[in-house]
Amino acid sequence: MKKAILYINQFFGQIGGEEMADHAPEIREGLVGPAMELQKQLGDEYQVTHTIICGDNFMGSRQEEAIKTILGFLEGKEFDIFFAGPAFRAGRYGSACGNICKAVKEKFNVPVITSMNEENPGVEMFKKDMYIFKGGASAASMRKDVAAMAKFAIKLMNGEELLSAEEEGYFGRGIRKQVYLNPPVNAADRVINMLLKKIRGEKFQSELPIPPSDLVPIAPAISPDELSKIKVAMVTSGGIVPVGNPDRIQSASATKWGKYDISELDDLVEGEYMTIHAGFDPAAANADPDVIVPLDALRAYEKEGKIGGVYKYFYATVGTGTTQAEAARMGREIAAELVADGVKAVILTST
Amino acid sequence: MTKEIEKAGITIVQMANLIPVAKTVGSNRMVPTISIPYPLGDPSSPKEVQFKLRYHRVGVALDALTTDIKEQTVFKVKI
Amino acid sequence: MRLEIGNFYVKDIVFGAKTEFKDGLLTINKEEALGVVFEDEHITEADLHIVKPGDMVRLVPVKEAIEARCRVGGGPVFPGVTGELMQAGDGKIHALKDSSILVVGRHWGGFQDGLIDMGGEGAKYTYFSQLKNLVLVADTDEDFEKREQQKKNHALRWAGMRLAEYVGKCVENLEPEETEVYELEPVTKRSAEVNALPSVVLVLQPQSQMEELGYNDLAYGWDCNRMLPTFMHPNEVLDGAMISGSFMPCSSKWSTYDFQNFPMIKRLYQEHGKTINFLGVIMSNLNVALEQKQRAALFVAQMAKSLGADSAIVAEEGYGNPDADFIACIVALEDAGVKTIGLTNECTGRDGASQPLVALDEKANAIVSCGNVSELIELPPMETVIGELESLARDGLSGGWSNDAILGPSVREDGSIIMENNAMFCGDMVVGWSTKTMKEF
Repeated sequence: MKKAILYINQFFGQIGGEEMADHAPEIREGLVGPAMELQKQLGDEYQVTHTIICGDNFMGSRQEEAIKTILGFLEGKEFDIFFAGPAFRAGRYGSACGNICKAVKEKFNVPVITSMNEENPGVEMFKKDMYIFKGGASAASMRKDVAAMAKFAIKLMNGEELLSAEEEGYFGRGIRKQVYLNPPVNAADRVINMLLKKIRGEKFQSELPIPPSDLVPIAPAISPDELSKIKVAMVTSGGIVPVGNPDRIQSASATKWGKYDISELDDLVEGEYMTIHAGFDPAAANADPDVIVPLDALRAYEKEGKIGGVYKYFYATVGTGTTQAEAARMGREIAAELVADGVKAVILTST
Repeated sequence: MTKEIEKAGITIVQMANLIPVAKTVGSNRMVPTISIPYPLGDPSSPKEVQFKLRYHRVGVALDALTTDIKEQTVFKVKI
Repeated sequence: MRLEIGNFYVKDIVFGAKTEFKDGLLTINKEEALGVVFEDEHITEADLHIVKPGDMVRLVPVKEAIEARCRVGGGPVFPGVTGELMQAGDGKIHALKDSSILVVGRHWGGFQDGLIDMGGEGAKYTYFSQLKNLVLVADTDEDFEKREQQKKNHALRWAGMRLAEYVGKCVENLEPEETEVYELEPVTKRSAEVNALPSVVLVLQPQSQMEELGYNDLAYGWDCNRMLPTFMHPNEVLDGAMISGSFMPCSSKWSTYDFQNFPMIKRLYQEHGKTINFLGVIMSNLNVALEQKQRAALFVAQMAKSLGADSAIVAEEGYGNPDADFIACIVALEDAGVKTIGLTNECTGRDGASQPLVALDEKANAIVSCGNVSELIELPPMETVIGELESLARDGLSGGWSNDAILGPSVREDGSIIMENNAMFCGDMVVGWSTKTMKEF
């Protein structure tokens, strides 16, 4: 018997409408509201043991407290899977479902499934973190949306082969995998099909949709006067490390970074530093590592007084094959060190 | 990595050969380098020439740090 | 230009007294064949094996695959490489089908080398598990690159080509079972009916990133790094004008066999005169400096425009920085009013969540995606390994590693392996065979 718990809001929990949106979280044994439909759809091998009810406003404005309380309810309870919603187009409800599912997944490491309409802001916020099934616009789709969640849950728990997001019916989580087409269609045929459609102005679907770009706020300019007083740090993804690669940074798909003390050096030289990056011809960099980490040029500017100095460490990792997630993590860790030591300016060289 | 460092509030300039990549990934201040295997110094040129190029482009990078920008900007180099 | 390829279907390969082909049976005189290999004194040891579909054999490090052929009436199979320069793509050649010559290192692998499983669950990841293969396993005195991650693999690759010609010769004077005919009229001399069809140009981007000679793909023996985009006849590609190089992370690689059989070219020929007017091939490249990428895109777009191409297909032999060339060409073509389809593979990182191409542009709105270099593949041990299994973990193959904090080494003590698709030999079959696509999960 597999066990499941469902989270719903005050309205579907039959507490009340908007006026009860501040309802504090509670957990009830057994089935309330949509939990009954969920139990029906999951069938006899599953038991929805509890229903958690929480007001949308409570979760919205006292989020930390709400989550803490609910995680507390779940402590010591046996459950294999956690559901929330369906939230349809209700924005606060969708956000609540996303937040609670994320927290439950992190703490209890069980699959979490929810459902909301594509217009629900919760989709953009949480689709990367959990299975959000594509739901209808209103409670009129309750049965359909609950059925979709249940059907997938059963597949998931049975260890059956899972199809793509589009085929299963949930919002893509931004994870791309290679799939053998069944029936097989080779790439040359797919190119001709797409070509003919594009030429004729017919609709076609690219196999590689272009994601929207993701920019960060521009950091403020440093005044030349301030620059002449501060230390500039160097960071590189070009894999420049001391010969021997003491930190064993990987030559591709890197998950590690190193920091190297250059406070006594004016120049990076052959035989002391090298590149371990596998994605390009290493000859030039090994002969003169300054071509990637320009210590000699920065020291010249230090002597002239254009910069206050060169930060005592340079940071290095390898860019080829490295996932963006790992690169971002390494970037955050390096940033944290730099911030802690008051570094305000960085030159980052890539290869 | 550039974005994470900038998110933390540090002013950063990225020196890269593949400016289209740096742009797509979201860097704000960018300075082009001459190639992938030797971003700041062509091994087929004499050491002095290499250093001159490196010194110039690093200088452009430092000036980028002191330049106020409103959008992703690629800073021009002379050599 | 009219190319006739006379096909001989290999049903089985055996070693025997005389190298010959009869009723589907290819017999190889091992001693004589090895003699051809040892013509190059740089080869220090060599052996030949025969592997067939379903055999529980693992081959690694695989450096090259070549289709055995001969030029009817004499002449090199690879003009400018195995013999004198001559026009390729016009005349008669004989080819041994359902078969290839595979070149495997006895010990030393590198970033560009790969793996093939002939049977079991791993077989599906490469095309060569479907063929009956004559495998050359050899070692050389090229000590300068023995421990380098980037290898030219010169002696081994040229030995493979010599073998391909040696084996191909045995069908020179036989009657082929079937003949493929490839013919295109000169671009400006086509019939009104053909001219009325939407025209297509195929833009190929063979890998050419290394600045030192000896690693990159060759066009009639000329290093592709040292060329600007040029107009070629598709028959030239099918007839040995292009040689695979030794640099590309392996699943993205187009082996010489891939070039000789180029399914996308054959598919365009099928449509020519019916739904499209196949103008020809623009052979571009994948150089590493940004200015060179931009220059190539300029040339490609100008040529396509001047040829009057209504549409184009751009195929990229690579991932990573070559994505910038791929996107640059597509954007330049679209800006010139040429409707473009892209053909490539992706690198999403092990978690599947990284941006699939390193450069993107909204104008690249029609892409066929052949696979993911980052996909993790775990396979059981194989009874027989040809080459050296440890090379996958030790020698810096693009999809192998010596020790990963979470996954451990690529080669485990019991002979089972865990690797990235990246090291599957020509695994993403971007030349057109791929039945893989990419989907979001």
